[in-house]
Parts: sequence; structure tokens; C-alpha cells
Amino acid sequence: MLKPRALTQVLHQANTGGVRSTILLNNEGSLVSFAGNGDKESKVTSAITSNVWFAYEKHGKNALSAEETKLIFLDCENGRVAMTRVASMILCMFADKSVGMGLLKAKLQALSRYLDEPLQQVASG
Amino acid sequence: CRSSFLPSRVLPFEVVLLRFVAMADELEDFVRKLLPTVDGLEAILITDRDGVIVLKASTPSMPEAAARPNFLATYPISCEQASKLGLGTNQNLVCMYDNYQVVQMNYLPLVVTLLAREDANTGLLLGLRASLDSCLEELKQAVEVP
Repeated sequence: MLKPRALTQVLHQANTGGVRSTILLNNEGSLVSFAGNGDKESKVTSAITSNVWFAYEKHGKNALSAEETKLIFLDCENGRVAMTRVASMILCMFADKSVGMGLLKAKLQALSRYLDEPLQQVASG
Repeated sequence: CRSSFLPSRVLPFEVVLLRFVAMADELEDFVRKLLPTVDGLEAILITDRDGVIVLKASTPSMPEAAARPNFLATYPISCEQASKLGLGTNQNLVCMYDNYQVVQMNYLPLVVTLLAREDANTGLLLGLRASLDSCLEELKQAVEVP
């Protein structure tokens, strides 16, 4: 079974060095877990990020015959967002502009690798 | 002659058109020269917000389906949504697939799309923005409705 508190604590560990928040979304774009600042807007941000992810996933399959969307970065004026798939869910990190894309990618991938097996078990069980 | 009826500070339409064609040729040449500067870069596409191509420079191995409006128009919609995340206006988007990566840059009403192989240097691709800034400003002025 999924332990919500434990999951939130794991996501919270990524919120250092300029990373403001980390969220986990399911395949429908609904929020599964949230850790960090801005929890009031978390539903809106989760809907927006999932929209972007699914749009690029769908068009990537059609245009580039891409079987898998690995990563999406959004580079905005005042911050950065990185998204990746983990098990059947989407993991997103929101960070300050000061956080380098490479570091954000490394953090995202490290957290994704850590959560992959437990979330696969939850998905299959 | 048409020009004899126009005030001196307004150019005749034919001259404006010739200037635009010359600018477009110069831009296409400039963009084509940028292609080999990053290893793995397959195409540079400048489009409007509907995904219609304004300018294109590509290698023969570029997948043609990636030049279709429905793929290229994904960014303007995503850009608008991403700008509502509370992080300011979206400037760039990088999407990595298994064989390709797509870098899209906000110059709305224009969009610059860079299509590259997955192993191309993303930092260098994003760095091309500095080279494109000056020529895109000119093109934006030509495209924008005053």
C-alpha cells in the first residue's frame, strides 16, 4: 500500500538548493502527492504540467515516432520546471532560476530512480 | 507610376516586398549556417503561433512529420499554459524523446524550434538563442500587426 506521509517525506528531500516544490501526478493528471511551497496552487500547477506533458507525449509519438517521452524542461522568466515519468506517474520539480538545468535533471532522475520500484509495486499490486 | 503619388517617406509596396524577400533570403542563409555549429542539430524552424513555417533550415535526415503544423503548434499553447505556473513567462521548452530532442523558444508571435538528435548538447542548443535574438527581432517586426 502507498503510505502518503512517507511519500511526501521522500519528495520533500528534493526541496533543497533552490528547488521549491516536488509533485507526483497520476496518469489522469491528478495530484498524488505534493511537497514544498505553494500548496494552495498545487492543483492548478499539477493540471498545467500534466497538460504540457501529455501534449508533447501525444505529438511526439505522431511526429517523431517516439515511444517514450523522457524529460521535459520549462525555462521560465523566474523559475524552472522539470518533469519525467516514474512508473505510471509523472514527477515534477519546480525550482528557482538559479538552479542549473543539469542539476535539476540530475535531482529529478535520482528521485525518479528511487521511487520507480516502490511505485511499480503499487501500480501492479 | 505608383510611387509618384506617395509621400516621400512611404516606400512603394513593390520596394517593401523586395526588401522583405531580401531579408528573408539573408535570414535563411544565416539560419542555414547555424545548423552545423551544433553536432546533432537536424533542423531550425521558425514558425508562427499556428505552426506554419516562416523559415526552415534542415538536414536531409530530419523527420518530415516534425515539420507539420500540429506538432509545431504544441509550443504556443504549452507556453501560454506554462506562463500561468507563477514563474513568469515561459522562454524555452526542452523535450527529450528516446531518439530526438526538441528545443522550442518563445519569440511570440514567432516560435523557433530546434530539432536535434538525443545526444546533441542541450546547452549549446539553448545557447543558439543569443545568435538568433537579433535576426528574430527584425522578423518579429515584419510579422507583428502594428
